[in-house]
Amino acid sequence: MEGEEQKKKHRMRHAGPKAEKKKAKNKHQQELTDRQRNPKAFSIQHVNKTTKIIQRSQDLKAKKHHIPIVDRTPLEPPPVVVAIVGPPKVGKSTLFQCIVKNFTRQKLTNIQGPVTVVSGKHRRLTIIECNNDINAMIDVAKVADLALLLVDASFGFEMETFEFLNICQVHGFPRIMGVLTHLDTFRDNKRIRKTKKRLKHRFWTEVYQGSKLFYLSGMVNGEYQKTEVHNLCRFISVMKFRPLQWRITHPYIVVDRMEDITDPEQIRRSKKCDRNVSLYGYYLPDPCPSPDMEKKRSLNQKERMIYAPMSGVGGIVYDKDAESKPANEFVTSLMSVNNPLDQKMTSSKMTLFSDTAPTSNEKQISFDDDDDDDDDDDDSDEDSDDNNDISDENDNEINLYSKKADNKRKSNIMPKTSNTQDKSKTKEKVTKNKGLDQSKNKDSSDSDSENDSESESDSDSHSDERFLKWKSNLAESAKEFFYKRQAERKNYRKLIYGQDANEEKNEDNQDADDELGGLFKVLKHKKDSASTNRYLVNKTDCSKFVVDNIRDWQLEEVQELIKDCFVTGQWDKSEDAAARLQQDDELYGDFEDLETGEVHTGDNEDGSGSDDNDDEDIDDKTTSGDDGERKKTKAEMTATERRNEKKRKMKEMFDSEYDMKGDTEFYDAWKLEAEQQAKLNRAEFENLDDDVRVQYEGFRPGMYVRVEINNMPCEFVNYFDASYPLILGGLLNVENNIGYVQTRLKKHRWYKKILKTKNPLIVSLGWRRFQTIPLYCIQDHNMRNRLLKYTPEHLHCHASFWGPITPQGTGLLAVEKVAGSSPGFRIAATGVVLELDKSLQIVKKLKLTGHPFKIYRKTAFIQVKKAVRTPEGAFRATFEDKILLSVEVPQFYVPVTSLLLPPEEKQKWTGMRTVGQLRYEKKISVPQKTDSLYKPVERKVAKLMNMLKTLHDHKRKTERSAMRSRAAEHEKKMSKINAMKEKKNKETKKEIYRVLGQIEKRKNKYNKD
Amino acid sequence: MTSNVLKYEGCNYLRQRLVLATLSGKTVKLKKIRSTEDDPGLKDFEASFIRLLDKLTNGTKIVVSETGTSLLYQPGLLVGGKLEHECNTQRSIGYYLEALVCLAPFTKKPIRAVLTGVTNDQVDPSVDLIKLTTFPVLKRFLGTDEGLELKINKRAAAPEGGGEVMFTCPCKQKLRPLQFVDPGKVKRIRGVAWAVRVSPATTNRIVDAARSILNQFLPDIYIYTDHYKGSQSGRSPGFGLTLVAETTNGTFLGAEMASNPKGSEKGPTIPEDLGKDTAKLLMEEIYRGGCVDSNNQSMTAVLMVLGQQDVSKVQTGELSPYTIQYLRHIRDFFQVMFKVEVQSKTEEDEELQTGGDKLLLTCVGVGYTNLSKPTG
Repeated sequence: MEGEEQKKKHRMRHAGPKAEKKKAKNKHQQELTDRQRNPKAFSIQHVNKTTKIIQRSQDLKAKKHHIPIVDRTPLEPPPVVVAIVGPPKVGKSTLFQCIVKNFTRQKLTNIQGPVTVVSGKHRRLTIIECNNDINAMIDVAKVADLALLLVDASFGFEMETFEFLNICQVHGFPRIMGVLTHLDTFRDNKRIRKTKKRLKHRFWTEVYQGSKLFYLSGMVNGEYQKTEVHNLCRFISVMKFRPLQWRITHPYIVVDRMEDITDPEQIRRSKKCDRNVSLYGYYLPDPCPSPDMEKKRSLNQKERMIYAPMSGVGGIVYDKDAESKPANEFVTSLMSVNNPLDQKMTSSKMTLFSDTAPTSNEKQISFDDDDDDDDDDDDSDEDSDDNNDISDENDNEINLYSKKADNKRKSNIMPKTSNTQDKSKTKEKVTKNKGLDQSKNKDSSDSDSENDSESESDSDSHSDERFLKWKSNLAESAKEFFYKRQAERKNYRKLIYGQDANEEKNEDNQDADDELGGLFKVLKHKKDSASTNRYLVNKTDCSKFVVDNIRDWQLEEVQELIKDCFVTGQWDKSEDAAARLQQDDELYGDFEDLETGEVHTGDNEDGSGSDDNDDEDIDDKTTSGDDGERKKTKAEMTATERRNEKKRKMKEMFDSEYDMKGDTEFYDAWKLEAEQQAKLNRAEFENLDDDVRVQYEGFRPGMYVRVEINNMPCEFVNYFDASYPLILGGLLNVENNIGYVQTRLKKHRWYKKILKTKNPLIVSLGWRRFQTIPLYCIQDHNMRNRLLKYTPEHLHCHASFWGPITPQGTGLLAVEKVAGSSPGFRIAATGVVLELDKSLQIVKKLKLTGHPFKIYRKTAFIQVKKAVRTPEGAFRATFEDKILLSVEVPQFYVPVTSLLLPPEEKQKWTGMRTVGQLRYEKKISVPQKTDSLYKPVERKVAKLMNMLKTLHDHKRKTERSAMRSRAAEHEKKMSKINAMKEKKNKETKKEIYRVLGQIEKRKNKYNKD
Repeated sequence: MTSNVLKYEGCNYLRQRLVLATLSGKTVKLKKIRSTEDDPGLKDFEASFIRLLDKLTNGTKIVVSETGTSLLYQPGLLVGGKLEHECNTQRSIGYYLEALVCLAPFTKKPIRAVLTGVTNDQVDPSVDLIKLTTFPVLKRFLGTDEGLELKINKRAAAPEGGGEVMFTCPCKQKLRPLQFVDPGKVKRIRGVAWAVRVSPATTNRIVDAARSILNQFLPDIYIYTDHYKGSQSGRSPGFGLTLVAETTNGTFLGAEMASNPKGSEKGPTIPEDLGKDTAKLLMEEIYRGGCVDSNNQSMTAVLMVLGQQDVSKVQTGELSPYTIQYLRHIRDFFQVMFKVEVQSKTEEDEELQTGGDKLLLTCVGVGYTNLSKPTG
């Protein structure tokens, strides 16, 4: 057997092709990763270095994040405002013309004011040229989305450029693109290259590294080279813009058309009467639509539109007398589609010009509205006088428009009743509304046919009877009432906001029902219902929803009404109880098994009815028993499995909470939220009509609106200069008020002077430019604000002034004067708003001097003045004048009204001047007290003193020498005495020793004996 | 700069007007306040409310005519911080608190108000109801309920008062927009049955009566009994019940009743009746439904308007007259209109018995920011 077993053993090939083949087949592979094989190489060698590296990479990552902002730009965005800025003679107008030509293929020679052109399928540009006035620069910086900063390369940067950059920085940085011109003045290329490089780097330090600087190399026939301009325009039309905080929260209009719509008769009577002005801005598709098409890549000639009414293109011819006449079809079409201005705009004050009582359009709109109704039933009754007056006025106001347009506008406008600004007008309105009310009663059929069709319930012609019936019904049966209420679909919009007159009816009749009271109580002077109104107006102010007839909730059919409001009721199919429990099951595992059965059966019962109650009981018992068993067996069977399952779930939960979450989880969630909100914002009112939509969400950016402002000073019209940008800025509610504004401020390092407390300063804050008197202070460590007389050189300080309330975090810019062009840097200080209040605490430092009378190691009692007993620790101090608890900030606020000045004086606005300035201008010397004057000094005393001093010195000298000799003599005497003393001493000593010796001898003798 | 004065007549909706004026910074002039009544002019509780506003703000100008029939209110900036106020006992603290809740998020310093007076009465929402139903809604706007608290130190019934509550609320720079259109289903009912200066057994009687009705709808009911004694119980006897239904999505619908005050001509209230009536009121409230209950509709509307320029959306039941008036006033002060529409039911929902019509209130916020709160 063994012999059989022994066979030749297989010997593997170690060489040759076969061996190689085999080797190649199962090549040894390293199963460990590099990291595992050599962990040391991957370990952290330098802890600090690694920390830094990681820190840095995280920082870079975090830097890329911006706080997610809800994107509120509408589908059709407003035109991009491009400003062309630069010092004079740098080529602004030429560039303007070239750009316009590039976009529209037509040459515009005399450009005034903003020009709107179509630059792409979805983009329009409003181009503004900014002159050298600092007022204009400030205004432009506030609205520009892109600033083209023109620089004369042959000269280099000028002050204006830097000033504009600083202004931009304060008011939210728009995109900035530098454009170098006058490059053809250089002789050699090397100089050009060097200059370009130098200017580029200087520009970069000012804006940001790598910002775009464009070069316009030379002129051809008085224009820049076509390709270069084309490239520039391409850049502009693809540029992306970041939303700026102030602008996304505050609506504004760049006005591109102005009309004087005052009654000419009134102007004839007095030339300086207040004018009514209508201003146009922004764009609805009409004047300059953005061509919205899908497939084409470029625009064809027809779509290259331009709209520049102030320059006389695409709109109206604008001439000095501010009379406007429609020039083409554009305008007429515009007029008929007139949209009233932004709700928000109306409500907020237009504080463009200080002196005008800030007017909002609302009043006028509501008058228009009323007026129309009046026209309908002019013959009706009583208050005709008032009405006629007003209707006249209104007719004048709207004389430009066709009746059709008027009607349309009326339907657009929601009736406003608030914001009436002066007494008399309110009164007029009241009476008129009253009239309107009655007239509506009489002949409502024609005017309100529309309403009727909309909803039967709200037609007011039958409202009285209807409500009465309703009331009786109410008394009869509660149920019917409720069914009825449910049946009639109320038009809530009308119920809440609806026509004034309708509203009145509703309220009157619901009196009994309950307190639908309140709104237009002013109108309720009707004799018949006077008492009830009075009652309503002064009713108890209570928020409770009083239910008159409580249903009997013990009745089954009543209970049925709300049975699905409870979790025990029927659910939607999507979230049926079963489905949800399934979900629960998945989530919580086997534990819920027990309940599933139970609830399922319970649910079924609910649906089917109550007849199988018995079954339920049995079912319950059995299922519960079953479940118990099943659970137990399950537990026995799959103990480890269950544990594993549990572990897996725990791990999943942990992962989802910690591991799988990226670093950006929080940020992503935030971003998503903002996106969803944006989507909702867009979708919510999408399907509504434009006029209804405007009522709900206000005017969307990008709409073309016309704003009428009443009672503007006549200078506005007379001295209108299109080269100055005109901006209507909207404010939020509280920002109409004025209060103390506390800001953090720093004097600009390039500004030559330091600023003094209580010197007037011109501040640009929010939309406004105004002059005010700031008080500078600094916060001490004890949180007190201590007054500073001057701004510190290189430090921030607080500045408090009386000014418009503006949201915290808004930037502000201060200049000492806007008049003239002084050679230096004009921006005095920049800052940011910190806090707003109606009172302020700024204190002055008080120095007290006293004497220490008891000193310990580090403390001492110091007597400043004689202490009083009560209050403890206090003492009575005396001052030259009555002191104040806090320094008072002067309540001085004057808006800069440079736009109202005649053209030649536009740059010469001076507000309040300092006393020093006034004296200098009027050449008045500073009054001096005679006491404080210096007189020539007579030095009699000094001479005497000198003499005395020499005498004294001499005396001291002689005394000293005498003292010396005296001392020497004394010494001699003393030495003699000493010698004598010594001799005597010696003798006495000798004697003593002798005696001592004798005694010794005697003692010895005695001892021997 | 005070040319935009809003003028109204009468004393009704005084709170709305003053609150909105304070928030919007507009001046309000009220005229003919009870001018034809025997007792003309502002009443004590209104004066007390105005005084509270004065404490809460800085720079407010209030001019009341000699007869008290006209009032000029020029609002200042909201300050907040610690304040104590003795609320007039003609109205309960709820009257003052309802207004305070709308203002509290916009103060300079977080508000911490100690209010004394009547905590529960029949006219105004009690402090319990505010705590249980208003705060969850407010929390959605604030984004947090940290520092949002209402502590009842002493409970007191009308008419004599002697109660004390402490209200704290954080202040925010901005409110969050609200999207709340699915109320969910009522999953539990909670409540507080309270009694002061009466037999403690009263509360149990109330609870039993209320449960007799509520149990027909839902098993998960718990009503706390709350009996205050001694110095914590105010000066006059009374009892009452506050019920709150909580849904799966965090909606709180509340209803409440209180006993007749001592010495009223209606005579004493029977606890059982009160319990049953309150339960019925709660059912009415559930019938009306919505994501906020009828007491909080107005506050929700105001806070929606005071959000960012985003769309806010909320589902409510039938609008209360007070809310309707509030919406009108909001238009006056903020020029914001609400889109109010009846929520159309889907086919599936058609079969469900979920009570009355539900309304969808939609509006765009005005972009309101807290101008008082300092930054940096």
